[in-house]
Amino acid sequence: MLSFITRRLLLGILTIFGVILITFILVRVIPSDPAAQWVGGRATPKQVEAAREELGLDKPIYVQFEHYIKDLLKGNLGYSLMTHQPVYEELKKRFPATLELVFISCIIALLIGIPLGLISAKDKNSWIDHFSRFFSIGAISIPTFWLALVLQLIFFMILGLLPSGGQLSMKIKLFQNVPHITGFIFLDSLITGNFAILKDFLKHLILPAICVGAYTIGLVARMTRSALLEILSEDYIKAARSYGLPERLILYSYALKNSLGPTTTAVTLAMGYALMNTFLVESVFSWPGIGKYIADAVVCLDYPVIMGVTIFAACAYILLNLIADIIISLDPRVKL
Amino acid sequence: MKKYYLLIVVTFLLFSFFAFAVIGNSQTDEFAFYAYNSSPVTDWDPSVEFSNGIVSLNNVYETLLRYDPLEDKFVKLLATDYATSSDGLTWTFTLRKGVKFHDGTNFNADAVKFSVERTINMNKGASFIWAPVDKVNVIDDYTVEFKLKYPAPLDLICSSGYAAFIMSPATVKSHPDSWLTEGHEAGTGPYLLESYQQERGEVELTWFKDYWGGWEGNHFKKAVIKDVSEAVTRHLLIEKGEADITIELPYEDIASLQDNKNVNVLIGPSFQNLILFFNTEKEPLNNKLLRQALSYAFPYEDVVSYCLEGYGRQGRGPVPYGLWGHSEELFQYKYDLNKAKELLEKAGYAKGDLKLLLTYMSGDEAERKTVELFKAKLAELNIDLEIRGMPWESQWALARDNNSDKRQDIFIMYWWPDVCDPHCWLYSNFYSEEEPFFNLCYYKNQKFDSLVDKGFKESGIDRNKATETYIDAQNILVEDAPVVFIYDKKNIYSLNKTFQGFKDNPAYANVVFFYDTYREK
Amino acid sequence: MSKKSNYYNILIKRRLETLKEYLYLLKQNKLTFAALIIILFLIIIAIIAPIIVPFPSHIYGAVNPQDKLLSPSWTYLFGTDEMGRDLFSRVLYGTRISLLGSLIAVAMGLLIGVPLGLMAGFYGGFIDEFVMRIVDMFLSFPPLLLAMAIAAFLGPSLQNAIIALIVSWWPWYTRLIRGQVVSIKEREFVRAAHAIGTPSWQIMYKHILPNCISPVIVQASMDLGGIILTLAALSFLGLGAQAPIPEWGLIVNTSRTYFLKAWWYGIFPGMAIFIAVLCFNLLGDGLREVLDPKTKKY
Repeated sequence: MLSFITRRLLLGILTIFGVILITFILVRVIPSDPAAQWVGGRATPKQVEAAREELGLDKPIYVQFEHYIKDLLKGNLGYSLMTHQPVYEELKKRFPATLELVFISCIIALLIGIPLGLISAKDKNSWIDHFSRFFSIGAISIPTFWLALVLQLIFFMILGLLPSGGQLSMKIKLFQNVPHITGFIFLDSLITGNFAILKDFLKHLILPAICVGAYTIGLVARMTRSALLEILSEDYIKAARSYGLPERLILYSYALKNSLGPTTTAVTLAMGYALMNTFLVESVFSWPGIGKYIADAVVCLDYPVIMGVTIFAACAYILLNLIADIIISLDPRVKL
Repeated sequence: MKKYYLLIVVTFLLFSFFAFAVIGNSQTDEFAFYAYNSSPVTDWDPSVEFSNGIVSLNNVYETLLRYDPLEDKFVKLLATDYATSSDGLTWTFTLRKGVKFHDGTNFNADAVKFSVERTINMNKGASFIWAPVDKVNVIDDYTVEFKLKYPAPLDLICSSGYAAFIMSPATVKSHPDSWLTEGHEAGTGPYLLESYQQERGEVELTWFKDYWGGWEGNHFKKAVIKDVSEAVTRHLLIEKGEADITIELPYEDIASLQDNKNVNVLIGPSFQNLILFFNTEKEPLNNKLLRQALSYAFPYEDVVSYCLEGYGRQGRGPVPYGLWGHSEELFQYKYDLNKAKELLEKAGYAKGDLKLLLTYMSGDEAERKTVELFKAKLAELNIDLEIRGMPWESQWALARDNNSDKRQDIFIMYWWPDVCDPHCWLYSNFYSEEEPFFNLCYYKNQKFDSLVDKGFKESGIDRNKATETYIDAQNILVEDAPVVFIYDKKNIYSLNKTFQGFKDNPAYANVVFFYDTYREK
Repeated sequence: MSKKSNYYNILIKRRLETLKEYLYLLKQNKLTFAALIIILFLIIIAIIAPIIVPFPSHIYGAVNPQDKLLSPSWTYLFGTDEMGRDLFSRVLYGTRISLLGSLIAVAMGLLIGVPLGLMAGFYGGFIDEFVMRIVDMFLSFPPLLLAMAIAAFLGPSLQNAIIALIVSWWPWYTRLIRGQVVSIKEREFVRAAHAIGTPSWQIMYKHILPNCISPVIVQASMDLGGIILTLAALSFLGLGAQAPIPEWGLIVNTSRTYFLKAWWYGIFPGMAIFIAVLCFNLLGDGLREVLDPKTKKY
């Protein structure tokens, strides 16, 4: 087991290095001038030159790469060209918001998706099966950004029930002391018992969560369904049925438990896709997470930010996959 | 029934979650909310910031003077009086007494000297506006003297919205430069920076109790500037009364907002204009007749009616309407397809048959609509205009490419003043440059250059003479047609009807001086 | 009749029968069949779009600003955009762009990914390790992110977005095929072919490939939908097609500014994306039912 983890970790590090190399090469291909971006819209030629030296852009490429790696090892992801702030600090500030959104959306998605897949697999080809198949495939087909706009249209513009975006309303932020214990508003407001903030936060969370969760629900439902179908056609299930064991026992105790492997993969994939969806959803709802951060950065080619977020997201994804693999390998039938 | 048990429980949980969240109430406390269309600050360092940050910095810091271009007079802020020597090389400012910085120290001439010198030495942002200054001398605690290398309009320079802020030497000296950039301030302005949350794009301001202007009467004590990049969201925030003031709404929405009883719409001139630059160094646009032909083929009126919905006016020369140095006597090209065809023939392109590349800033709706209209008109002359949207940096890098053949044929961009001076346009956009910077028509005309230099020196002594010189320079430009002056933009502010006291000042683009505003129910 | 032509006749008949069988199975699933019909319909639209479009000049260039932002009417079925262009024509033409773009991306992805996967699985050893490490590197990016980064750095344009998608997508096929190849490689018939001295490439393409192609077909047909979606997402972020190309995602993005005055503007292209992607996904799902022996109905 330990050797498995070590091997995967080493491979992970190698992969991350490859990721860094790829992103670094991509960045150097761009036909734009980072030094000019750094000094902003209306600088003088001398200022641009000075910035070029300051950023180390006049040195040969391999020297730049060396500097970059050295900085990375120290935890320095560079400085955003737009805000002149360290990318690492900005990521730290934004990451909790995205994590909260993704986590809560995934929980909702699992709560809806797994039962949906379950019912679908049980009563195959019934109208429920058709309905849930249509629903889950629809969920993964709908363009997330369009869903976000439509929901905003209905609930904010027309009905006025829900806010247009952000995590908390302005009044709460200005006149209430927002607790900052874990960095997650949901937990913090629960811990301190401040229900006004909790309510406000939930109000702001609903629409983004639905948008991020939609794709995930569909994905999870389909994967659960196919995994369960596969298991239900196994011989031991047939044997259990012929013994007269109640269907419910078979379903929950045997089939569901044995679908741990595919389900874990489903959850991992779900979180990965949810992360992808946040790039689109956070812009529309002004959610202060890393999705909005990188969406803003790609438009103005703020390359340190793009690189920083890419590396960060890739590392998170690799870690997630590693954890998923470890969980799957707990199943004794799986060969390491 | 049992089969669906799980499903029922889950649905119930979700429903209650939803219901709990949606049902609620709200309360009102007094604060001003400015829904800004971009990030309210780029760099908190007052010597460096040269971008949107002025909307925040101008409430926290102050300048010696503030310029009101519509009435062409100076409001005395930190300086109570000033005088110029007859040769225009010495300016003496008398400073206001009893002003305190936010850190408690007193404002005096040392602070002015420190602030100006720091800005010059850091040589970042708009620090070049101080280029004419040779020395800053402290005469006594409340008198400061500027010695210039050559005559220059120093009153305009020190009322600039950029790089002219006065900061507390005590605070600034005791921290590294990065401390300011991170989000701290050391100003004299009516508001303190309460909090800056970059990830949310929010700047929160609270009143500074010891502000020299006092707090009698009606002033907002709390204000928020927030980045709301979605135009639709800004519109709805104003309509629903959740925001107090906003800008940059789609022109198509203005009519309905004007009809809305809860909204006041303020329309006024801005000093921002849109200019189309021809690449005068490359074929075919090095041909003056061709450029003039294209100037006649541009659909000025259509652009103003359809892209701006009438909220703008066709540009007349580089200096925008309302600023000194603008002349209504200047020649103005008009859309005339026949004249365009005539000139095309004379230029040797009777059949058209040209391919031109135009780049504009991707994401900018107004620019895109304008160039699409231009493209359609040129198609009628059998000229193929390729319009390419690029991020600003890429567009600019292309225009400054070392290989001049690679550069685009036409470049479009906005220009706005750092100092309220025609020199800002005439110099930056048309003065000969060895290496292209913002003279993106690559115009090189020595006669023009010498007029600009002359005008600048005159503006420090006699504004009227300078105006005449600048008008001569502009005449040359219009004749040579290295650019098309498309339109002068109008500023449109949408305000909540209870938000009173706001007056637009085009010299400080999009800045809301919250001190003057208050709520009236 | 020579033996060879006889042989081919039988082969063709058999292939046709298999095809009929598949079609029959497909028809059983009404949903999938409906999806197939809609897709064929979309393909036809895409091909004849330039002809049937009511305002061909509105697709790219000519502007008509007097008629801007009109609501749907009999002349302008989907209304007009802010430059007065007919949205119905643009959305219709957009079918062409989306379908073609997605087809190119998937085809190129397959062309790169499948041979690599075959080689990696077949030869094993160092080639396998090398190829799979590269594949891992690419797959360790969260799905949209790599495409975003590549499109951002190459410069926003439709072509670059498609290139970005090809680069992001080929690793999936490689991994899929390689997994299959590794298990099929040990089977009897492959060993037999080896024994009689069949050249490697023949083994790979004539023996192994046909047996592992079904998951790839399923994945590819769903990817046709997935790529339309991702292409639209890239254009929505400003990284894909640029004005005045009538790509669906771009139209939705432009419609955001005018959402209040013209709510219909963004609805139709969004629906178009939804329907196209939905049908491809249903098709893929149906194909999986048909081709995958474990979930067969009998």
